[in-house]
Amino acid sequence: MIRGLWTSDTVGWLLVAAGAPAAVALFLDQGVPGLARLGMCLALVFAWQVVFRFNLGVPLAPASAVAALAVALIAPPGAPLWQVAVAISFGVVIGELVFGGWGRHFLSAGTVALAFLSLSVPNAVWVPAGDTLFWAVLPGAALLLVAGILPLALVVAYAAALAAVAAALGLDEPIRGGAGTLAFAAVFLAADPVAAGATAAGRWIQGAVAGALTALLATGTSLPQAAVFAILLAALFAPLVDQGVIALHFKRRRARRGRA
Amino acid sequence: MTHHFRRGLDIVLEGRPRQAVGPANPVRSVAVFGADYPGLRPGMLVAAGDEVARGDALFCDRRRPEIVVTAPAAGVVEAIETGARRRLSLLRIRREGDAARRFEPPEAPTRDGIAAICLQSGLWPGFVERPFGRIPDPDSAPDAIFVTAMETDPLAADARVVLAAGREMFAAGLGAIRLLTQGPVFVCQGAGPEVATGDGQIRAERFAGAHPAGLPGTHIDRLFPLERGGTVWQVPYRDVIALGAVLTGGTLPETQIVALGGPGIRNPRLAEAPPGAALDDLARGELREGQMRVLSGSPLSGREASHLRRRHWQVCVLLRHQPQRPPRGWWPDHAAARRPAPVVPTLALGRALGPDLPVVPLVRALSVGDVETADRLGCRALLEEDLALVSYAAGGVQDFGALLRHALDALEVRA
Repeated sequence: MIRGLWTSDTVGWLLVAAGAPAAVALFLDQGVPGLARLGMCLALVFAWQVVFRFNLGVPLAPASAVAALAVALIAPPGAPLWQVAVAISFGVVIGELVFGGWGRHFLSAGTVALAFLSLSVPNAVWVPAGDTLFWAVLPGAALLLVAGILPLALVVAYAAALAAVAAALGLDEPIRGGAGTLAFAAVFLAADPVAAGATAAGRWIQGAVAGALTALLATGTSLPQAAVFAILLAALFAPLVDQGVIALHFKRRRARRGRA
Repeated sequence: MTHHFRRGLDIVLEGRPRQAVGPANPVRSVAVFGADYPGLRPGMLVAAGDEVARGDALFCDRRRPEIVVTAPAAGVVEAIETGARRRLSLLRIRREGDAARRFEPPEAPTRDGIAAICLQSGLWPGFVERPFGRIPDPDSAPDAIFVTAMETDPLAADARVVLAAGREMFAAGLGAIRLLTQGPVFVCQGAGPEVATGDGQIRAERFAGAHPAGLPGTHIDRLFPLERGGTVWQVPYRDVIALGAVLTGGTLPETQIVALGGPGIRNPRLAEAPPGAALDDLARGELREGQMRVLSGSPLSGREASHLRRRHWQVCVLLRHQPQRPPRGWWPDHAAARRPAPVVPTLALGRALGPDLPVVPLVRALSVGDVETADRLGCRALLEEDLALVSYAAGGVQDFGALLRHALDALEVRA
């Protein structure tokens, strides 16, 4: 028997490769401290994976590096390292490892870590990233798209809903300023291939909900926090939406396919 | 009517067989595998050393003794191997002579007459019943029969070539098979000349698209979905041709056309070989240099085997990759971890299932053994063959066909 290429490890390494340009953008935007933060996050993710690997047999997963990258990129630049360390630990353990590792999670670890940070340190200053990161995300997104890993429907729905609601609320200016953060969040957090909805219609709905909520929440809070919470909420409801979509699918099948 | 199948994956492999029947090596032994008859508890009718003619019964189902499996070629029973729980694993016949048992075609074609000749000639197990994929009960009648007259598996023979060689026999077989049901008989074919003309009962359907467009599961889902209950029998056109041969000539056909393909074979082509032919014999002198795996069946669902198995009409030779070295400590592999690697939803996975069912939730339910959810998502209408491409697209970390079989067995016990 022959096997296809798309094991969880292949997908994981492709996600890492797709995230690499964003790591360069992190260095360009934040310099050596940014890289140091990324290094610490990666080391912690790996350390937790090793702990779970040898105690519970959870396989190591390269894709978890994306969570480290997300935290290093989006977390407030002024946040003390220990806060970042606690956040990434919480994200990777509670978001991923307790469910059996990457591939069995239902919320992406990066989203969980950032939401945790946002809730526990309310007065931190979150700074959206602009064009450098935006251009760095594009080649990664293209790679994932060509490889068939990126749920394109979700990203398109996210962008469309975000643009529409932002235009209605007159938020175009701040959104343009935070294009990098938003693009990264859409491609690597919202469109996490495992945590995203499992049905095509579910993905459209999830993306639209996340995009619309991002714009709505951005009226009251910083853009990165708005994006993180919108994506978290949309992902939480994704399984429910999938259930509805599947129920409708079978109802339609039964109605359409009466016996000839 | 042409049905366009828009999902599916085009798997590019070296060694596509030239679609012309070429010479074949002499085959010295043939075999019958117990595992090819799921749900059948064999009661042996021959012993090692017995001489058998082509068409002689080798074993029967203990519960339904009228269902027999017959010898694909004449010779001497060389070995009867049993596996776990003393189940028959393989019965091997050394070929000698060409004696053939004659079957008397019924004078007037009736349902019972056709069923009887199918049973006697050992062609009855060519039918597979859905749901659950069992050999159907000889007294039952399905709500529909699906004749699959196309092959879309990678490296498979072109059904057009095989049908062109056995056109009259296919027509004769089809005329008999239609008596087995009151319902419709769907003849599903790909491109090429029409293999059957539709009438009130026979429905000629065409399917176009990439694999699995040619699988009966895909056709049944489009034309006769099983969600409202009922049973469907599926039968490959090869068995219809064989039945036609029995009805017109009185004996089982001596050979069938098989595809020899794959990157490891020098001259990929079609060849005539007896059913159950020894793969060693077929592949002798045909292989390229290097370590090879000789599979019975398609690259997707085939298995390494000593002989060609039932419902397999292709031999494919793949390169044997060196076994991977054990990991060097710091990056432990998935085999060392305690659970199988997870399945990641990708575009390929979304296109891999023929029936229009939610594939990612279904695969997830099967991989954790959630039978209720899998049933709710429509697994009852599926068979192992429908999930071969899904297992491929998911990276081959889990055999979803085997997982589906577990779920179906559990559902069948409850039903």
